Amino acid sequence: MGPILLVFRLVLADVRRHPVQAGMLVVAITAATATLALGLSMHGATEKLYRQTREATAGPDVVALSPGTDRSTITALTSLEHAPGVVAHSGPYRQYYTKLTAHGSTGAAVVQVADMTPGPVDRPLVTSGGWVRPGGAVVERGFATAMHVEVGDRVTVAGRSLPVVGIAVTAARSVYPWALGIGPNGGPTDGGGVVWLAERDTRALVSPDVPVTSFINLKLEDPAAARTVSRHNPAIAPAFEGTWVSTRPWQGISGQNFVMLRDSQPILVVGSWLLSFLAIGGVATLAAGRAAKQTRRVGLLKAVGATPGLIAAVLLTEYLALALLADAVGLTIAHFTTPAIVNPSASLLTTTTGPSGDTIFLTTVVALGVAALTTIGPTLRALRTGTVSALADTAHRPRHRAWLNRVSALLPTSLLLGLRLIARRPGRAVLHGCNIATTLIVVSAMLMIHAQPVKGYPGSPMATHAQTAQARHLLLAVTAAVIALAIVNTVTITWAFAQEARPTMAIARTLGATPGQITAGLSAAQLLPALPSVIVGVPLGVQVFLLFNRGDAAMPPGWWLIAAGVASLLATAALTALPARAAARRSVAQTLSAEAP
Amino acid sequence: MQDAVLAMLAKEPSHGYRLRARLRQALGPLGESMNAGQVYVTLARLEKAGLVAAERSDGLPDRPDRKVYALTPAGQQRVSAWLSEVNWPKANLTEFHLKLAAAAAARLADPVELVDAQRRELLRRLGEAQRAVLAEPDDSTAGLLLEGVALRLQADLRWLDACERVWSKPKNESEDA
Amino acid sequence: MTDFDAVLQSRGLSRYHGQGESLVRAVDEVDLDVPAGQTLAIMGPSGCGKSTLLHLLGGLERPTDGEVWLAGRRIDHLNERGLARMRRRSIGFVFQNFHLVEELSARENVELPALLAGRSSRAARRRAADLLERIGLGDRTRHLPWELSGGQRQRVAIARALANEPLVLLADEPTGNLDTAATIEVLRLFADLRAAGQTLVMVTHDERVASTADRLVSMHDGRFVGDTRLAGGTGRLGDLIGLDG
Repeated sequence: MGPILLVFRLVLADVRRHPVQAGMLVVAITAATATLALGLSMHGATEKLYRQTREATAGPDVVALSPGTDRSTITALTSLEHAPGVVAHSGPYRQYYTKLTAHGSTGAAVVQVADMTPGPVDRPLVTSGGWVRPGGAVVERGFATAMHVEVGDRVTVAGRSLPVVGIAVTAARSVYPWALGIGPNGGPTDGGGVVWLAERDTRALVSPDVPVTSFINLKLEDPAAARTVSRHNPAIAPAFEGTWVSTRPWQGISGQNFVMLRDSQPILVVGSWLLSFLAIGGVATLAAGRAAKQTRRVGLLKAVGATPGLIAAVLLTEYLALALLADAVGLTIAHFTTPAIVNPSASLLTTTTGPSGDTIFLTTVVALGVAALTTIGPTLRALRTGTVSALADTAHRPRHRAWLNRVSALLPTSLLLGLRLIARRPGRAVLHGCNIATTLIVVSAMLMIHAQPVKGYPGSPMATHAQTAQARHLLLAVTAAVIALAIVNTVTITWAFAQEARPTMAIARTLGATPGQITAGLSAAQLLPALPSVIVGVPLGVQVFLLFNRGDAAMPPGWWLIAAGVASLLATAALTALPARAAARRSVAQTLSAEAP
Repeated sequence: MQDAVLAMLAKEPSHGYRLRARLRQALGPLGESMNAGQVYVTLARLEKAGLVAAERSDGLPDRPDRKVYALTPAGQQRVSAWLSEVNWPKANLTEFHLKLAAAAAARLADPVELVDAQRRELLRRLGEAQRAVLAEPDDSTAGLLLEGVALRLQADLRWLDACERVWSKPKNESEDA
Repeated sequence: MTDFDAVLQSRGLSRYHGQGESLVRAVDEVDLDVPAGQTLAIMGPSGCGKSTLLHLLGGLERPTDGEVWLAGRRIDHLNERGLARMRRRSIGFVFQNFHLVEELSARENVELPALLAGRSSRAARRRAADLLERIGLGDRTRHLPWELSGGQRQRVAIARALANEPLVLLADEPTGNLDTAATIEVLRLFADLRAAGQTLVMVTHDERVASTADRLVSMHDGRFVGDTRLAGGTGRLGDLIGLDG
């Protein structure tokens, strides 16, 4: 019990003494695990949402659609009730291809004639308001969201103004804007949503100008066999000799849903790679920044007789505990944001059950891995350093660097000092550069995506809007996360740097350097590694975009990319100036006396 | 020893045994080895030199331990000369210690001031020795001797610091009362 | 306050930390006059405020109250930039822990103040070479601090403090981290400086170091409690070793 208590006491004391560092560690790992969990959830998430919706709405296994409302068409569809494997059915129903106007905007719509009491297959789930009644329309939720329609609003269908009495979801159609199933002439038509009306209210639509289709919803004994119910099935084909039929198995309906996310997934996948990379960079900086202190602490522990095992336990426990905390926070964030991100439109139910076991396992492995990988090095080094030299903290002695000395001799004195300090830990300068390069990759990829022309659905601008907004919001979210993490990293790096530079800068101040000179020197020195990162990051971002882009890509105006590079340099300068300024303002006497052994 | 005994008498005339008790108190464990004879021999010498006068107590046999000793004017002069003396020929710690004790007991002088005067003198000497050390090249044998002198003076100065610390506390002024 | 004999002066100089019950008078109304060319030693127990006093005199800390005058110019109310310029031109600091810039070679360390003062790199280099030669480290100019012994490092620090020919050299426990031999190296250097007329104020707890000064002030609880002139020996070196019996 004793050693465990000691370990916890030391860990707690350390966290309490360095709350900011602990906080940064948690933030960095949280961002990585959250994005990773989102990226993992995305895979199959829409399918999961569809399954949920299907269960909640008694979704059909097959929907069969035929053009027109002729007797032959109806007979053919009705014959499917007795097709092999069919256990239940609803319909046939009619649907009209028309337009819906709400709040002054008009979008393509398919009006389904609804039973007052839905049949056994496809029972749309009313999420607000009630079900269809004569004189009252129910709008599909994804459609309603795109049209900004709520219960109580009035919509105009076929020249008739009707109140919206309910909003519902269904699994019989793909998500908005692919609800139409097939077009009036049997071909596919996109860009529309579903509206349910009572039979009486659809009479106005019966006109040669309004295309109409009949359809039937079928339930099978074996849902997995849904694909076999098609025109090519010899048991079904004869009934449709005189007409045309499109059968849509539920797997096809579900698959179409993911099209909405096609643009989004690479964003999340690449985004989570980059975020993980940034997290590793940030944690590595923190760990390396503390290595010297840890080495000294290990020396102290060794001097009072702690075994190497205990010391390793103390060092690792802290990071692993913080990593686990960050993992939990990241999974929670992912849990609450998944519905918003993986739901292609509001057309599916989003009662998710939380991250799957696989996701939890993987993110935990990654979080612990990041913590362990970045701390094991310093831990081993600390353990290997002799007790006495650890106490004397002789690690990290500066080396002679002839070329650097020649170059820096030409620079202003404070910049010279800054450069020499940076050269003492070249690894950190590289991390700093990678950090900025990563951010710029994401930012320039985002600019590329924004520069692409919008491919839309003619006649239904809100449908176009819904899809592009989905991808762009996500991209914006990932970019924001990357920028946030990059800021955390830059602050971590510059803060660690300012910490180390403090004694040297205090010395320079005793020699008559002004606080302004100190700030400028520290800040400028850190801009140097940022410069090549900007030069490399922007073209890399463009390349990453091209890698995932299908077809021709439009280039954004050159000044967008240049502005992004300049902005990132300015931001770095500002971020580095803050801790540098804080270090420059600190009392010289205090700093120097804190250095005393 | 003579000067110390004289200074002890400066507060008030005293019996020989009482004088011895005071000396032993001032010296602590170091005074254990001091026998009665030493004090009386010293007193006899001082009496012969005319620095103290002895008065026999009434009705008692003529024995040294029954006499009350007092300072003569010459003795008083000698005491004040001794107190202002800052020589430190052989770093006689016992003598300086007794000087402080006697000065405090008789309120002849502030022990802290005595320490301070002594320190100034020793610092001057140390400065001289130290400069001589710096002037000698490394590995000079004469430098070795000077180094020894400087180290000894440094030790004496540190001891004076300790004296000052203890004597500057108010309780010591009344310790002997 | 225009007594130009005193190159460094303070009047009522005070520095307090904390408030109310926990008020600490690190330096309490200190009046000090340091004539040009004097070597002044400040002694006292640790925590008596001697280092704080030195920091106040050199403008590294700001006084709570009182004045500091350097060469007839009041410096305690200068802003940070003004103080920096003042330190650059007129003050040289030497510390117990040397405080050399670990990343810079001995020569570069000595060049620093001259470069900060805006001198050309050639002038700074020449000055550094001269100074390093003078302190006997002409052959160690390219060494990094950790490659030098303690005494050598402190001599480099002193050379650096002298780079801009300061009016006053302020040394805070300059031999505190040195062994006897290295202490002698540093004291010899100080003796040379003294002979050259350099004003030097040093804080020390080593009697041997303090005794080489012209004057010694003792500090206790932030106040001066003694002021001794040491210069001009008795000329009786023989007394020291008891030659006259």
